[in-house]
Amino acid sequence: MGVSAPLLSAAGVVGAVVAMMVDGRRSVAVAVVLLSAGLAPTAATFGGAPGVAVLGASAVAAVLLAWGGRVGGRVLPWLTGLDPTIPAFAPADRLFGPRSSRAFGAAVAVPVASWVSFNVPIGQVAAVEGFLFPIAFAWTCGVIRLLVARTLEDLAVGVTMVSIATGTAWLLRSGTDSFPGAALAWLAAPLAAFIVGWLNGRGSRRAHPPAEADA
Amino acid sequence: MNPFVIAAAWLALGLVASGVLRRPTARLVAVVPLVGVGLTMLAARSASAAVPLGGFSGITGLDRAGQGLLVATGLSMALVVLMQPSIDVSVGRTIGVVGAAATIVMASSDPLVSALALTGAVATLVLRWIGLAPGRATLAAGRVAGSGTAALLAASPLLPLTGFTTGDRPVVVAGLLATGVAALLAIYPLGGWAAGIIGSLKPIDVAPWMILLVPVVLIIAERIPGGVLGDGTPVFEHVLLVVGLGSAVWSGVWAVRGAPAMRYGRVFMADIALCVAAVEGASVSPAITGALVILVTHLTLAPILLRPAGAGVLWPRRVAWALLSGVPPSPTFWGRLLLLEALAAGNVGSTIAAVIAMAAIFIAVVLACSTRIRGTSVAGVHGRLPDLAAWVLVAVGIAIGLAPQSFTGFVFGH
Repeated sequence: MGVSAPLLSAAGVVGAVVAMMVDGRRSVAVAVVLLSAGLAPTAATFGGAPGVAVLGASAVAAVLLAWGGRVGGRVLPWLTGLDPTIPAFAPADRLFGPRSSRAFGAAVAVPVASWVSFNVPIGQVAAVEGFLFPIAFAWTCGVIRLLVARTLEDLAVGVTMVSIATGTAWLLRSGTDSFPGAALAWLAAPLAAFIVGWLNGRGSRRAHPPAEADA
Repeated sequence: MNPFVIAAAWLALGLVASGVLRRPTARLVAVVPLVGVGLTMLAARSASAAVPLGGFSGITGLDRAGQGLLVATGLSMALVVLMQPSIDVSVGRTIGVVGAAATIVMASSDPLVSALALTGAVATLVLRWIGLAPGRATLAAGRVAGSGTAALLAASPLLPLTGFTTGDRPVVVAGLLATGVAALLAIYPLGGWAAGIIGSLKPIDVAPWMILLVPVVLIIAERIPGGVLGDGTPVFEHVLLVVGLGSAVWSGVWAVRGAPAMRYGRVFMADIALCVAAVEGASVSPAITGALVILVTHLTLAPILLRPAGAGVLWPRRVAWALLSGVPPSPTFWGRLLLLEALAAGNVGSTIAAVIAMAAIFIAVVLACSTRIRGTSVAGVHGRLPDLAAWVLVAVGIAIGLAPQSFTGFVFGH
């Protein structure tokens, strides 16, 4: 039975759009889980069960490390630090906010990903063409999220999107080195989740000083 | 010695230094790069140069040029730390991570491993910079340099291009590689994000990027052979030539017009942009030798010129500026002459742009030498040590000018 390219693309686009729009303290973990879910059909098509398993393990590790980092940041008695959800600068009032620019970026990513999908063959053993759309879309959205970032959280979400898209592209590449390459690329997502979780933990401790004083 | 062990030593010592050291012992942060240098000198040399275009072959080892580069950058970083009037120990963590990443990048032939190591280094730098001075400038570093590492990551599954040297794939790969190199060296857009960083942070906080990361990115960019990129070769070469020359002229002009505190940073960026333009855009033999001479000159003089202007070493500082002037027998004369020779072999437009940039650098250096600085000096042996170290570095700078090719041969092996 053949693979439905539109179905793979639709799943990837939904995951990438949600990852593009998500905000808040849990945004990195949410982005990793939903983008991994969106790209899982592509990973299953080209990497089989092991591909999905490694991608799933990366998503689970990201959630656990984000949680572990948050707990560690809150418990360890070190100095409070940078809050990743606070914008690094306060921009002047504008007609369109950060989410609007991200939505516009996601719209721009559609023709870019479409061109890449149909013009850039990927693969070492046999060239694959036409299946790169969800990966190229997720990667372009990740870079746009990086370019319009206002907080550390935005930067971390961008890094995780790029990391997951690159890892899935390594599965499409096929050959003996595709699995180690994919696993290595996906490694950046849990690490980013841990760092942001850690900073969130430290930030939340600073946000509730009376509770610390009572304790 | 396995490069992984060297990288692990950088990382572990950096983390330990930032956790254990206190204000009175802060200068011991210099131990991190010094141990890295010692271990790198023990490393067994690899016969082949690590070219970041191969398949997934992991860490191949340090070649002679990579080994020499890591030793020179490590020594320079240690001297920058030792010559600062005050040190925040948390910089040890940044130095450790960036040093480890530089070692991995120089030892790896794999584009994915190199891109991931660079991502780790950039993430660590950006976290520190935004933590120290939250604002547009530091966030721009995260945005642009982060996008650069993302471009290198995206290129990794498309490499090597064996069998795909025609069509759109090599063009896309060349575009991604050029974007990655330009963003990491801060030559895009026109002087890049680094100008903001240099203006808003202390020199010691910018030093890990300038001293440890920029030379490594320059060397790996030089190792991307044009022929392997097929149809993408003109894209890679022309993009870096145009962006590099534009950035060199812009940085040169702002080195003249800008604040004196940012002058060295601007001159450094102008020189690096000239090196990228000549090495990538006019890949003939004098370019790489010229780039290496300029690189080793900056690594020698950066410890003096990254020391805050009012913190002593006034005369060594003036001589160090003179060594950057491009007037013979300063080492930068030979470096820039070779770059000009390489660019002149290409076309007249790039030669004119390079001459304008070099003239601007010369004027900036004259302004820096003629500016009167009121410095504070500390009496006793402790007060004399920075002066002594600075004069030794100036002597090394003069030696480079007297025998530039022998010196680069000694450091890099060619």
